[in-house]
Amino acid sequence: MATGEEELYVRYYVGHIGKFGHEFLEFEFRPDGKLRYANSSNYKNDTLIRKEVYVSPSLIQELKRIVTDSEILKEDDKLWPVPDRVGRQELEIVMGKEHISFTTAKIGSLVDVQESKDPEGLRVFYYLIQDLKCLVFSLISLHFKIKPI
Amino acid sequence: MAATDNYEMAVDLDPGADEMVVDDVPRDDTDRLKSNATKRKGRGFSERRAGGVDNDEFTSGRFESLEDTATGQAQRSVEGWIVLITGVHEEANEEDVSEKCAEYGEIKNLHLNLDRRTGYVKGYALVEYETFKEAKAAIDGLNGSTLLDQVIKADFAFVRGASASTSVQERDTRRHRRGGDRRDERRR
Repeated sequence: MATGEEELYVRYYVGHIGKFGHEFLEFEFRPDGKLRYANSSNYKNDTLIRKEVYVSPSLIQELKRIVTDSEILKEDDKLWPVPDRVGRQELEIVMGKEHISFTTAKIGSLVDVQESKDPEGLRVFYYLIQDLKCLVFSLISLHFKIKPI
Repeated sequence: MAATDNYEMAVDLDPGADEMVVDDVPRDDTDRLKSNATKRKGRGFSERRAGGVDNDEFTSGRFESLEDTATGQAQRSVEGWIVLITGVHEEANEEDVSEKCAEYGEIKNLHLNLDRRTGYVKGYALVEYETFKEAKAAIDGLNGSTLLDQVIKADFAFVRGASASTSVQERDTRRHRRGGDRRDERRR
């Protein structure tokens, strides 16, 4: 981008393989502003939602603020619960020269966070994910008039 | 990662063209950004997903997008135009925001999302107007103004992509065309 500021890439995945096959939610913001969103749930009826739209540089700036304020780049996933049969989460962020690719199990509630070996770090992840999902669901539902989940 | 991904159309394009120009550079902005990073951290770099599931289910296949009904750089959404307001005071409420935004037209939708940790406003609002004119007036009027003594910014939330990908039906024909353009550029 011509702004001369740090570029940003953000990707989040949550999913599991169960009796309904591979069910997942995944979205990414690419440096050119392209937001891609996919949600596959095979429960009851087959649905696979795949949507993309370009967001403005202002939106990317706000996303960057949310990521930066969370201080997620200072964390490390090495003590977080590893992905298991119940599920898997992935958070990948590239901001400037820094690139994180974190994985962990699904987190049911704050109790899981408290009981982990790195409650402070996992809490940062836990809330950032919720804030990111909240933003993405708003964008997708406003733009396409669908309920993302 | 298959090196051919970016050139899926290359096969149906002029088989006689010389093959010597093969880009070694990363395929797109995202790959370039990733390869320029010098500090890497996390298990995601070494792990693979269980059950042989990988990214293909996400990356392969089509993503639907709306038709390219854009005005200038802004992109229209299904039912209107979405304005992004940032710098919103954490103690602002929907009434504060909608009161300010209603000056420029009827608000069709308003999302004022909360910070999940603090419960206060996250700092942005998404406001929908039916017409471009209203949205543009709101952006011009709101940008740089104050809300609860805090300066806010306003802009369109969605834009036309650089490559202006469009409706699913149109995309195929367009991709062919673009593939052809790319070849032409390379020969120059």
